[in-house]
Amino acid sequence: MVGTVDLSVRIGKLDLAYPTLMGSGCYGSGEEFAPFIDLALIGGVVLKSVTRAPRLGNPTPRLVQTPAGMLNAIGLQNPGIEWYLEHEVAKFASRTCKVIGSVAGFSVDDYAYVSQRLAARSEIHALEVNISCPNVGSEGETFACDPNLTARVVKAVRTTTDKTLIVKLSPNVTDIAGIAREAEAAGADALAVINTVRGMAIDVNTWKPRLGNVTGGLSGPAIRPVAVLAVYEVARAVKIPIVGQGGIETTTDALEFFLAGASAISIGTANFTDPRIPVRIADELREYLAAREIGSIREIIGKANIGLSGPFQYEGDEG
Amino acid sequence: MIKNYVTEVCRGGFDAHTEVPESTENGHRMLLESPASVHETRVLDRTVLAPGVVLLGFHAPHLVSVTRPGQFVMAIPPGGERAATALGIYEAQGERASILFFVCGPRTRELAELREGDQLAVTGPLGNGFTFDAAKDVAIVAGGVGIASVLLVAQSLVQMGKRVRLFYGARSAHLLVERDRFAEEGCELICATDDGSLGHHGFITEALTRAKEKPDLILACGPSPMLRAASSIARELGVPAQLSLEETFACGVGGCWGCVVPLDRRSAQAPNFPPEGAGGGEVVMARICKEGPVFWAHELRW
Repeated sequence: MVGTVDLSVRIGKLDLAYPTLMGSGCYGSGEEFAPFIDLALIGGVVLKSVTRAPRLGNPTPRLVQTPAGMLNAIGLQNPGIEWYLEHEVAKFASRTCKVIGSVAGFSVDDYAYVSQRLAARSEIHALEVNISCPNVGSEGETFACDPNLTARVVKAVRTTTDKTLIVKLSPNVTDIAGIAREAEAAGADALAVINTVRGMAIDVNTWKPRLGNVTGGLSGPAIRPVAVLAVYEVARAVKIPIVGQGGIETTTDALEFFLAGASAISIGTANFTDPRIPVRIADELREYLAAREIGSIREIIGKANIGLSGPFQYEGDEG
Repeated sequence: MIKNYVTEVCRGGFDAHTEVPESTENGHRMLLESPASVHETRVLDRTVLAPGVVLLGFHAPHLVSVTRPGQFVMAIPPGGERAATALGIYEAQGERASILFFVCGPRTRELAELREGDQLAVTGPLGNGFTFDAAKDVAIVAGGVGIASVLLVAQSLVQMGKRVRLFYGARSAHLLVERDRFAEEGCELICATDDGSLGHHGFITEALTRAKEKPDLILACGPSPMLRAASSIARELGVPAQLSLEETFACGVGGCWGCVVPLDRRSAQAPNFPPEGAGGGEVVMARICKEGPVFWAHELRW
């Protein structure tokens, strides 16, 4: 039974043999992890974000340990789209998993330009639109924090390609479901929920921020409940599939996201713990489903049993 | 329980050629095909060398066969839910490799609790290694746990018939672990302690400055202030130096760009972006875990 359980999912037009993506910025281009894991046993890798112009990235330190997670502030270090197309993209053709390009920018025009150039390449199977990088000043995340800007970026990118567009949302907003609806209406095929949560740490000996960039993005299990809720809220607001992410380390964690409404999951920080985790999760998902005589992972998406557990009201309470 | 997602320590090494490597046409070096893999090992032996300083030997014949002096491993404690820790490969001989570490956080504490027969997965070998072929008289400078990354290079140098002086500093005499071992391997030992309990009373780099005979290569591994001091001494002496840098890692394999150091663009180790003229000027950010952890001191712009 375990062998026949179907883990394949479809995200927009993108067919994934496994419902596991490797998070952007955590996994290089996949090549870095190939000595430690068979990339044919993951769904795909989301590449590190690329921008129109090259970027040196943020000053160091760029990483800080925090309770149950870590802060990072890399700052979109990348070679710029032209160099990337010329020197990097051809190498992705040999990947045995799906390859999802990631596009970042500082204007609507940036996003459209980079998307059009990148999506034109056959090595790239789909695009993630990173409108939610918290580590490039106020500009990077602005797009994901404003429903109108989200809509404008997604519309502009949509005109450049028919390939699957996954729009990565920020948790640092009041109403993520509202932003999600805008992205869907503007033509997104799927949503990645969530990017990192903004955070800060201070060294009490030097009184200096512990990150060179002062602030950073929090990842790891510390943000998992925030992410599960975001997936749940977004899933109720839109019809397009969701790639759930935020602190997934184990099969149990992954299942929470599927039940909350994610069609696939993305693993980032956990790969720093043990690069074998994505394959272990896929194996254990099969076991979990087989034990319950469920034939496909698709059957549990969004099946969290919410109906019977609404807020309890005492008799006589008003409102 | 507090888990860790970035490394507590990073200790690395150097590659095996002597001249400062020539820059290639575009000024960048191709990374070598990685011989790294995940090694499922078992702990063979555990020795407490001093309070909070542990030597763990493990069975890893394949790792031994592909390790170069100065490389490191990421050690994954059993259970797989805790973060990996970057540690210099201390010994590598026959079927046994070892790591030597100071307990400095929850993960190293967990590693320190492993016992003979326990499972231990390590990924590696990672990073480049020391470069030392042409040198004849080498000064190795090790500060504290930096000693963990220099035994293999010391052994190689002695085998090649080179003179090896180990300048070895720590807070106190009891933390100058394994110094007899280095003497047995054929190194001349010069020690320094912060409290004056053994050797020079002060920094080991002061002892290096006072050395009467000038080495023709300096290899250093230790805390950043020591590396900076070793770097300026090397400059004053006109001697090339390689530094094995210390930094917090997340992935340890070049995937996250968290552990970067500013490097001269003309360095053979410089990553090829941003492209020239497109930002960063003469300085680019190199990954300590991938392009390093060993860099030529004169090429760093930190």
